[in-house]
Amino acid sequence: MNHQTRVYDDIFEMLPDEDNPTPLVRINRLNPEPGFTLYAKLEWMNPFASVKDRAASYLLRQMEEEKGLRARGTNGPEDPGKGIVEPTSGNTGLSLAGLAGVKGYPMKAVLPNKVPLEKKRMLKLAGAELEVVNDDLCPSPGMGEGSINLARTIARAQSNKFAMPHQYENENNVRAHMETTGPEIWKQTAGEITHMITSLGTCGTVTGLSKFLKSKNPDIKVIAVAPSEGHDVPGLRNKSQLSVTTLYDESLIDDVLEIDYELAYTRAAELFSHEGLRAGPSAGLIFEGGRIVAERDKTGLGVMIFCDDAFKYATNFAKHMPELTEGTSPMNHENPRPVGAAKE
Amino acid sequence: MSEYADPSVLVSTDWVNERLNTDLKIVEVDVDTQQYAAGHIPGAVAFDWTTQLQDQTQRDIISKENFEALLGKAGISNDDEVVIYGDNNNWFAAYAFWVFKYYGHDNVKLMNGGRSKWLDEEDKPLTTDTPNPTPTTYSVGETNPQIRAFAQDVLQVVRDGNANLVDVRSPDEFSGKVIAPPGMSETAQRAGHVPGAKSVPWVTAVNPDGTFKSRGDLEKIYFEDAGVSEGTDTIAYCRIGERSSHTWFVLKYLLGLPNVKNYDGSWTEYGSMIGVPIER
Repeated sequence: MNHQTRVYDDIFEMLPDEDNPTPLVRINRLNPEPGFTLYAKLEWMNPFASVKDRAASYLLRQMEEEKGLRARGTNGPEDPGKGIVEPTSGNTGLSLAGLAGVKGYPMKAVLPNKVPLEKKRMLKLAGAELEVVNDDLCPSPGMGEGSINLARTIARAQSNKFAMPHQYENENNVRAHMETTGPEIWKQTAGEITHMITSLGTCGTVTGLSKFLKSKNPDIKVIAVAPSEGHDVPGLRNKSQLSVTTLYDESLIDDVLEIDYELAYTRAAELFSHEGLRAGPSAGLIFEGGRIVAERDKTGLGVMIFCDDAFKYATNFAKHMPELTEGTSPMNHENPRPVGAAKE
Repeated sequence: MSEYADPSVLVSTDWVNERLNTDLKIVEVDVDTQQYAAGHIPGAVAFDWTTQLQDQTQRDIISKENFEALLGKAGISNDDEVVIYGDNNNWFAAYAFWVFKYYGHDNVKLMNGGRSKWLDEEDKPLTTDTPNPTPTTYSVGETNPQIRAFAQDVLQVVRDGNANLVDVRSPDEFSGKVIAPPGMSETAQRAGHVPGAKSVPWVTAVNPDGTFKSRGDLEKIYFEDAGVSEGTDTIAYCRIGERSSHTWFVLKYLLGLPNVKNYDGSWTEYGSMIGVPIER
């Protein structure tokens, strides 16, 4: 393993840590407050292109140690192996599937139907078997969510074939950020970070980062952004959707900013066109949180976690930004010009 | 559970667990029909609410003949004790319970907390093995049409105001902000609610673990807070009749209201009729 020449024996060696951090890139044209420095941490530079590589690698290691995962074919050609089943909005599943595939473990991803088609196809490309469940019809406290309940059922009823890390309840999801993301940021900012801005999903990131950074400097402000009710920002949760995770600890968060979810898409587009940062919708929402904090607090050094990039969300972007579809076909209503015809 | 008006229709997960491998018949009915295949209570059969509990041609509950065939194939006899459970806090399990009662099967119960509670309890077994029941000949005797409301019954209440109407849908459906929850294929032409209906979303009747709230809590929710009158007839409705089966169960068996009907046509029927009054 050589991080300088970037020559690796396998994909596991590329996983991030203090010696191999994901990049921090400063926001320039879109920073509303010159006295406040805003950095984006580009988690899409991880091997499977999202922040979830961190939790996934910790969860997989734990499952190997505690649940006896077994590669396909270990006990003869008919041996299906023992692998992972996990409820996921896509990114954790993708990281787990990628890592599990390297080891020969089967992977079953249980996901709600609202997960973008791009992610479903990527999961299949990575070798995962999919179980897609209908989105919640009428969510209620304690009912759990369809995908979580189905994954739990599979892990219980088919425990010879699958183990479930359960990222919503697993402390290793938090530990991954205490041991990798947190130390990376501390070193990259030479301890000068004043604000940490991230989102709420499983809450492993916010809880792990807060625990680490506040242990270094209790004055660091940890800000979480949450999309408004009725949102369709994959992977994120607003406060009313947090009952499914046990990793959310309100005492570790200084502010929760609820932000109009449409801004997830429009801010992400601005990041690409003005800063060269191909941000996904969650990064767009987090950037809006960073802007609010910069304008409010005037001075400081904020680090924003840009969870993943735009590529998996073309469908979602098109839904929120109809202009992305205009002019993408040879002929449409706006431009009724046959293919090959000369422009007037 | 002994506090409820009729505690005989509700059993605990422990009660069911103690009776596995007995003559007890267990039926799972889910919103998400993938759940059963992934793992279920040993010995349980599954009924699909879309294809097996509803008529496949006209909009109606399953016919008497098809109900007899369904139970016969599932190895259920007229005298059998049946426990029904399902996902989403027993939404469609309650609907199935209502259909069983409609066709006169007396000895039927719901498992309190449903599928989710069973999953939460580590001592409760799950299997992917499907049972192979010995078919029986089931024959429906006397039915109970008095537990079912039709549109004309609802319109009668709108005119006369002589019964409780309980709308168990979400607040946004009640207020007319949305016609149906996002993504639902069954919808209506208009949004709003039946004039005079009280809004008590079904979910207010359950605890965080999916079990029903105590009788005292339920009395406060329905009688004190929502103003449901204890002494009069009641009709519960939702969008397609499943969430209202859940509330029908609460009002009839847990609170003991005298005459409760489930309007299974619900908003998809009422909100599509021409000329009927709607409130927003």
